[in-house]
Amino acid sequence: MKVFQSAILIAVVGILYSVNYLLEDMVNPYVIRVIVNCGIGMILAMSLNLVNGCAGQFSLGHAGFMAVGAYTSATLTTVLALSPFFKTDVGVGCAIVTGGVAAALAGYLVGLPSLRLKGDYLAIVTLGFGEIIRIIFLNIEDVGGARGLPGIPPRANFFWVYLWVVITFMALLRLLRSSYGRAILSVRENEIAAESMGVDISKYKIVAFVVSSFFAGIAGGLFAHFQSFIDPNSFVFNKSVEAVIMVVMGGMGSLSGAIFGGIIVTLLPELLRVFEQYRMVIFPLILIILMLVRPMGLFGHKEIWELFKKKASS
Amino acid sequence: MTAESNQILGGDFKVDSLSIAFGGLKAVNQFSLHLKPMELQGLIGPNGAGKTTCFNLITGVYLPDSGSMVLNGKSLVGLNPHQIAEAGIARTFQNIRLFADLTVLENVMVSYHMRVEYGYWDVFLRTPKYYRIEKQFRESASELLKVMGLENRKEDKAKSLSYGDQRRLEIARALATQPKVLLLDEPAAGLNTQEKAALMGTIADIRNKFKTTILLIEHDMKLVMGICEKITVLDHGEIIAVGTPREIQDNPKVIEAYLGVG
Repeated sequence: MKVFQSAILIAVVGILYSVNYLLEDMVNPYVIRVIVNCGIGMILAMSLNLVNGCAGQFSLGHAGFMAVGAYTSATLTTVLALSPFFKTDVGVGCAIVTGGVAAALAGYLVGLPSLRLKGDYLAIVTLGFGEIIRIIFLNIEDVGGARGLPGIPPRANFFWVYLWVVITFMALLRLLRSSYGRAILSVRENEIAAESMGVDISKYKIVAFVVSSFFAGIAGGLFAHFQSFIDPNSFVFNKSVEAVIMVVMGGMGSLSGAIFGGIIVTLLPELLRVFEQYRMVIFPLILIILMLVRPMGLFGHKEIWELFKKKASS
Repeated sequence: MTAESNQILGGDFKVDSLSIAFGGLKAVNQFSLHLKPMELQGLIGPNGAGKTTCFNLITGVYLPDSGSMVLNGKSLVGLNPHQIAEAGIARTFQNIRLFADLTVLENVMVSYHMRVEYGYWDVFLRTPKYYRIEKQFRESASELLKVMGLENRKEDKAKSLSYGDQRRLEIARALATQPKVLLLDEPAAGLNTQEKAALMGTIADIRNKFKTTILLIEHDMKLVMGICEKITVLDHGEIIAVGTPREIQDNPKVIEAYLGVG
């Protein structure tokens, strides 16, 4: 089993690395940019899916945690860069993970008071916290304030972003397929029944929130080291809404749905560029149509492979 | 999680003068109860008598204004619902509260969570320990479902079950917490006469098989008469009678509560 797993891991790394090599050679930078942004969108959507889709707690402040990850990692590789190590791939990787941990910590601090609330109230409070985090960065002059933070080493390429997509997917899938995952899902399904069966619901809401914030922080760190420039405007409320759209579109609670949501919401506005000024009319129209045709999102609660299994059996 | 470990001796559960008021309404007043190990007791009373409120007090959903609850020498007042479940009290719900979008098997496996021995690293790295414990969980959940006659529906979503099966799944899920005391809140509600009789038989079996103490709320007096050793009758939040089924049947206060004054 272990050998098999390691072999697959090496194969995935190999494939990603060669695709990365081919892409840089053959495709123009704009296309690479869109593909990488899709990857960041996927990580963001999968992480938010854990809170909104699986734990059933509606959070609207995901951009805030992305900002914490982005600013923490970027500060480590620019302002604080203690040694040339922080300009290398490995150094940047460490910085991004640190950004994730910082975001998880922020998630814990925000989640502790907010997760006592439910539904609309929780949405408003998380929205507020998301904005507070952004405003804090806007007012720290050491990280550029409103001018933003330039000169971030652009080390995050296709390879690193999609490696994190794979890691996020595997980690969340494994979490959901465990006893801890079932505890998180039971909170969504019925809080009173869950706690009567011995599930500490406050604890698992926080667990979902912290894990989700960690991966949002990773997405932020990758974003920073791909764009090589960040400013507080990169993490406005719109970004949180975008993440929610990705999750809702893919199907709440579906990990593969979140991946598709991440791709569609990133890709569609780019594809619609041919319509020029009508772009932002057509994009929402498509979203509305999708919600009318499939109100459960693309896959509902199911994963894409379960969807096909069902069709085959019936 | 083997069949052996399912054999827990029932709990000795003492409730003494539990009271709660919602505003000016005394929903439950001076509720006392003593469940001896392996005893099957009934709690009956007309609509709105406060039976479910009693369950909510015992399971920590409401905090009692006064009174005490002691399970095998351990006080339970002020604990969270999940701590009370860990202490060994499990319940079912009158209005079914299953995890509708999870499978039947997963519904039962949620109850094992408080005994999970693997940590987050075992989950992310899928260590042998993870596989071993997940397998144990799946096997003992399947065994439990077999007892409740649901083994063929394991992989189906809980919401796709029939009403009677959903009630059975609620009991299976409560049993999976390996309770010392099992509280059943109108498990026969909404079933037809035949199903009701079958369910009452199952409940009597459960007590012997799982060695658990059972407190049963039932609306229908005739139904509990057959299987309960002792019955407590509640009306307007107060206990109006305690005794054996025969004593209860002839008690004029009980007849009055159910039928009104003639």
